[in-house]
Amino acid sequence: MSVQIKANGDMIGRAVPRIDGRLKVTGAACYPSDVVLDDTAHAFLVMSTIARGRISALDLTEAQAVDGVIDILTYENTKGKVHKVRFFALGGYTSTSIVPLDTRKIWHDGQIIAMVVAETFEAAREAAYMIRVDYMERRAVSGLDGRKPQPRAAAGFLSSEPGVGDPETAYQEADVKIDAYYSTPAQHHNAIELYATTCAWSGDQLTVYESSQYVYGLKNGVAKQLGIRPERVRAVSPFVGGAFGSKAAITPRTALVAIAAKRLGRPVKLVATRQQGFTVSSYRAETQHHIKLGADRSGRLTSLSHEGWEISSRADDYKVAGTDTTSLLYACPNVATHVNIVHADRSTPGFMRSPAEVPYMFALESAMDELAVKLRMDPVELRRLNDTQIDPINQKPFSSRSLIACYDRAAAAFGWAKRNPEPGSMQDRDWLIGWGCATACYPTNIGPAEVRVTLAPNGKARVRTAGHDLGTGAYTAIALTAAEFLGIPLEDVNVELGDSSLPPAPVAGGSNATASICNAVAHACEDIRERLARAASHEGALRGVDPAVIRLREGMLVGADKSEPLKSALLRIGFGPVEGHAKYTPEVASVPIKLLGHTLLSKGIPVLTVGTSAGNHVQYAFGAEFVEVRVHKRTREIRVPRLVGAFAAGRIVSPITARSQLLGALIWGVASALHEETEIDERVARYVNKDLADYMIPVSADIRDVEVILVPEEDNKVNALGIKGVGELGNVGTNAAIANAVYHATGRRIRNLPIRMEDLL
Amino acid sequence: MDANSPLKASLSASRALKLVLSVNGRDHRLSLDPRVTLLDALREHLGLTGTKKGCDQGQCGACTVHVDGQRVLSCLTLAASVEGKAVTTIEGLALDESTLHPMQQAFMDHDAFQCGYCTPGQIMSAVACVMEGLAETDDDIREYMSGNLCRCAAYPNIVAAIKQARAEMKRSRK
Ligand code: FES
Ligand code: FES
Repeated sequence: MSVQIKANGDMIGRAVPRIDGRLKVTGAACYPSDVVLDDTAHAFLVMSTIARGRISALDLTEAQAVDGVIDILTYENTKGKVHKVRFFALGGYTSTSIVPLDTRKIWHDGQIIAMVVAETFEAAREAAYMIRVDYMERRAVSGLDGRKPQPRAAAGFLSSEPGVGDPETAYQEADVKIDAYYSTPAQHHNAIELYATTCAWSGDQLTVYESSQYVYGLKNGVAKQLGIRPERVRAVSPFVGGAFGSKAAITPRTALVAIAAKRLGRPVKLVATRQQGFTVSSYRAETQHHIKLGADRSGRLTSLSHEGWEISSRADDYKVAGTDTTSLLYACPNVATHVNIVHADRSTPGFMRSPAEVPYMFALESAMDELAVKLRMDPVELRRLNDTQIDPINQKPFSSRSLIACYDRAAAAFGWAKRNPEPGSMQDRDWLIGWGCATACYPTNIGPAEVRVTLAPNGKARVRTAGHDLGTGAYTAIALTAAEFLGIPLEDVNVELGDSSLPPAPVAGGSNATASICNAVAHACEDIRERLARAASHEGALRGVDPAVIRLREGMLVGADKSEPLKSALLRIGFGPVEGHAKYTPEVASVPIKLLGHTLLSKGIPVLTVGTSAGNHVQYAFGAEFVEVRVHKRTREIRVPRLVGAFAAGRIVSPITARSQLLGALIWGVASALHEETEIDERVARYVNKDLADYMIPVSADIRDVEVILVPEEDNKVNALGIKGVGELGNVGTNAAIANAVYHATGRRIRNLPIRMEDLL
Repeated sequence: MDANSPLKASLSASRALKLVLSVNGRDHRLSLDPRVTLLDALREHLGLTGTKKGCDQGQCGACTVHVDGQRVLSCLTLAASVEGKAVTTIEGLALDESTLHPMQQAFMDHDAFQCGYCTPGQIMSAVACVMEGLAETDDDIREYMSGNLCRCAAYPNIVAAIKQARAEMKRSRK
């Protein structure tokens, strides 16, 4: 379809309250974990307590004797029932290649080894604790050793390893050099909604109620696991109680619940505990980095090398390889990158909000600050000097890049000009004040999406697509787009999402959803406009007007200074609603995606055009973040009273929800710098702080002033509507800005996250 | 019975506890396992799923309800222990069908949530904080709302919402 999709009404970009807000504040929003079906049996998981070895014996006698127990799934009765389905990072569906309850083998601590089903949750839980397990245990490898990485064999055919020029020679010849190691810890998403699944069969038709970032993936993947046709499975997830990457791939629990429900002939509901959640889904694995920067005396970068080390499971090669981003961030003629995978006796890691950028940009943006200090240069000026509109690796232009505009806006709002660069020079009574900054960036990803829009004779619209609102504001952004292109009030648009019986939409990951779906909505509305306009040009007030110039505005068809009420135009077409349908393929998609994208999409396989694969340009959103930290002179307590972030991400469809995402993301950045770490008992490769009391995330008292500035940016290359996406932009670089501020406050450079008061003693 | 087929069992009636729970002004007759928490009684037995389970161990605040006007973590409260007391949940907070409680309205006005999963608990805690006089300053709000985790991190908007609702709640009390 080649139409001129142009937003010129005033709905896109309008600051309206979240349209699903009322459901959320009244408790009426129905999350998958809220589903209560008649005659439901309740499941409880049993997890391995060793990280490597085999189950030698399972004794279920006591568990089976518990009043109310109906069924216990173990490898003995479930072996062979779940088919192996490809790992999502290899173009498949599952969060891990480990097939649940298939063998005696233990791959990681907290692996599902049994599932008890009982009449009540209480009985299932009681019985789960009565299962006796004997293991043959082997010595486990927990992860990376120490904070400075050891040399390792290169791994990974997935790596693109961007590089250019001769960084080694340039480094040797550089006037100023930085050579440093950095590390980031393992982290868990810990969405507030627990991992819950209810499965119900009606004949051979399965319905899965499970919070999901990808209902088409869930539907198709579970069908493959169970060896049934995808049409037999429906995945339902209209609301999601937080996801952050944890609900994109299918976790091992789902197929087990489906199997139990089939065996019992009644619905089965599983709610994994908070502790179990640490190994039920994925996590952000710990990383290490070696960065070498070379610059001339003026501060111009001459050499950049970035080597990363990442943990994966023994079962899978997963890596985030953030060097794709760090290699093209600044103008530098000589770049080398390399990423290593280290396999350990751990569950398979996966996406967590800005998977690649959070750890890799921490390393680069810390190193840039170290370089600024060495050069005695303002860190903002160092970024300005090394800014580029051309990707230094492939010499392609950025579709748009407003990094410096973001720095200028944020610096002004923050009052950066008043900063005394000398570490420890700014104080307020018992507190050392530190000001720091860093760059945020995130690739602009986009995928094919299918949307159906119907416009009823009463002027009310229904938008249907299997997209997802994770709290991101998708309902609102989509409704605004439909209201814009249909020329109707926002209240007249109803949006249905999160159900695999709707037309397929991409995974809600990589911040692509707004761009992918809103462009599809625009095309579907254009389909409706075209039909109404064609009919209107034959009779009525608009008779004889070229259909191409007829627009839908404020409940009217308008064109050539003539107009007609939308409702009368609708009646002309017939009695029922008018339907618009669009299969949107991104303008920047490669030829294979153009040919196969929609087929893959309908099979639940993610097909995204990413920031570096968008044809003749590269596409990224940018931001600049400034923070103030206060470090107590004696106790070394660290506070973050102030954060300012300025972001340019193309067209902002729904400013209120976009702002909330960026605000939340900046606080995620604080968490990354100061709070979050999944602690591992290295002797047994086991997580030790598996709950919300011991796994630190910010609480209200940790956060004070957070300011988000939306910097206007027009980009007509990324997609017709010029949308870049903001979900994962805001928490990139924040950790480095805070580490840089801690250096400014104390003179101590902390290169290993999180920064805790003991690091500053 | 072949080894692979489900066991036959049923919860013996002898362990079930008969009780009456008063929730949002209505009495409900229930027969429950004595271990059932107030949270599970609401969610699984009464279909009042506005109250959320975020940890089931008193660490997140998502399950906050009012019992006789006091805020309580329903996951740490046995259903049997609130018999004879008045339980209020998010579903019972609105003044009537069409009028939201000022705190609910304020949360909407300030976009004080994203995923919304912590929101019922935040709102129930916030209402109690204002009633208890613990929301007089921004610092107080932040301190006394720190038992309610928001992973989406809507904290600044939550504080703004509570300030708006505080003023309205005071006005309407006069
Ligand atoms: S569910 Fe009760 S405090 Fe978390
Ligand atoms: S709104 Fe998602 S946890 Fe608070």
